[in-house]
Amino acid sequence: MARNSHEKRTERQLLLVLLPSLVLLLAFVIYPALYSVYLSFTNEALTGAAALRPRFVGIRNYVRLFNDAKFWNSLFVTFVFVMGSAVIGQFVLGLISAMALRRPIRFRQFFSSIILLPNAAPEVVAGFMWISMLAGGEHATLSRIVAFFGINPADWLNAFPLSMIIIVNTWRGIATAMILLTAGLSTIPAEIYEAARMDGATPSQMFRRITLPLMMPTILLYMLISAVSTIAVFGLVYALTRGGPGGATEVVSIYIYNQSFTAFQLGYGAAVAVVALIISLILGIGYVRAMKVEV
Amino acid sequence: MTAISPSEGANKTRSDLLAYATLTIISIFCAVPFFWVLLASFDGNAQLFLRWPEQWTLANYVRVFTKEDGAKWLFNSLFVVGGATLIVMVLAGLGGYALSRTRAWWKLPFLYAILLIRVLPPTALVVPLYKFLLTLNNAEGAILRPIFGSYARDIMRWTGFIDGYLGIMLVLATMQLPLALWIMKTFFDGLPRDYEEAAVMDGATMMQRIRRVLIPLAMPGLAAAGLFAFMSAWGDFLLPLIFLSSPELQTLPLGLFRAFLRINEIDYGLLTALAFIYLLPAVVAFGFARRFLVQTFSGGVKG
Repeated sequence: MARNSHEKRTERQLLLVLLPSLVLLLAFVIYPALYSVYLSFTNEALTGAAALRPRFVGIRNYVRLFNDAKFWNSLFVTFVFVMGSAVIGQFVLGLISAMALRRPIRFRQFFSSIILLPNAAPEVVAGFMWISMLAGGEHATLSRIVAFFGINPADWLNAFPLSMIIIVNTWRGIATAMILLTAGLSTIPAEIYEAARMDGATPSQMFRRITLPLMMPTILLYMLISAVSTIAVFGLVYALTRGGPGGATEVVSIYIYNQSFTAFQLGYGAAVAVVALIISLILGIGYVRAMKVEV
Repeated sequence: MTAISPSEGANKTRSDLLAYATLTIISIFCAVPFFWVLLASFDGNAQLFLRWPEQWTLANYVRVFTKEDGAKWLFNSLFVVGGATLIVMVLAGLGGYALSRTRAWWKLPFLYAILLIRVLPPTALVVPLYKFLLTLNNAEGAILRPIFGSYARDIMRWTGFIDGYLGIMLVLATMQLPLALWIMKTFFDGLPRDYEEAAVMDGATMMQRIRRVLIPLAMPGLAAAGLFAFMSAWGDFLLPLIFLSSPELQTLPLGLFRAFLRINEIDYGLLTALAFIYLLPAVVAFGFARRFLVQTFSGGVKG
């Protein structure tokens, strides 16, 4: 009986110390998320008549969204951006780096520090550094590098905008992929490789038959994590292109921002936000299941 | 050991060479963009493109602090992000402890919830968050104005929810909170309960237990949680862009972005000097955080 009441008091105290975090998350994340669902059913705006007296408009925003070519474009651009930078670029370069750094070579600390560096750069700084790399035609650093291989200079951000932001975001995220995949690689016992080598397996056979299958859980987890964090990328693209030219790099977070704060259509922007929230949540649920949370 | 056949040895050398080659190429890709910021910031005649300075100078850095309000932006960034980091460390320290020790029904739902909160894109939340904070801000103003009269404006600069230090700190802190709670929960899971139980036996209260036993033990975890919160909040651009507007409150990312918007007269020396000042604390924090990266990225969510 005494033990029970003591335990009850402890539980009450634990809830009490968690309370400030709970309040902040409820007020600044959960409530805004629900509120954006509500906003998406109104014609709320920052300016004009609707700003003074917003009305409930039912699913009109969603109908408009469904028929809006710019919305579908932004979903498509986001999809290509996520596939290109997170699923392919960061993953491939991260895996190559992780495997190369597992070999007993020199300067490993040095190499991994350099690869980590882009991850430390604040979004805006990263954006400006790449503007210097890409803008300025023949003076751009990239133009001068490719001139070495006989390729003509270009105004990279205007000629290949989506490919360029994919390259920049790949650059920024190699380290995260590398770290996660290194952790995954280190769980594969060395004896398996040893046995395979005895049986005369080639390196590429070992990679396909041992490394990849055993790494699958880690790869899945990585894909989900990097997909959701790539959908959320804003500052980097905003500093580089602000969605242009002509919507070519208008990923969904830029589209929401432009609808809400440039076109002042809060209700419509909220409808787009709800779509982004739902896509992220679906990926997030997959992620939570892949995490196998232990209590 | 000596049984390695010649062909196997050659194979090994070839693989090592391949590793060096790929790592060198990837490292160049990662490092090249930094050269411009580094060189142009010391260049008396800095340009948008990469070049070796003809005259080395510190004038760009001097201009950041004399011609522009660089000192104020730096202070604002340090104050706002530092404050947010402190809030995160305190709340996540307490909350992570509770999440680790509780046996209540809400434990698992709460853990799932903070993982899911991490995946929500902040751009999708800022509009309703702005409206909500505006309401809070107006309510606070309505209370303060009759009491403090003309001083209310100055007080609101510190305690306001929109365009005030408190508001941006709380918003930045909240966005970092889920990862920090997760780090601290995992950290406390690894701490044996013996110490606390001994303290309970000695009749220590909850507060005494936290202060005397848990905080000293939790320091490494708090350092990791604080570093990740600092790095992520320091690099963030969206939240200050939305929630700060008056010049007195501008932070480094805003100052940097606005220096770039002066289309026809961009001072690249100033811009890169400012970028370097903004970059440095992030790189230093990353250097400290390196040893925590593996646990956090594999256990928690990407930072």
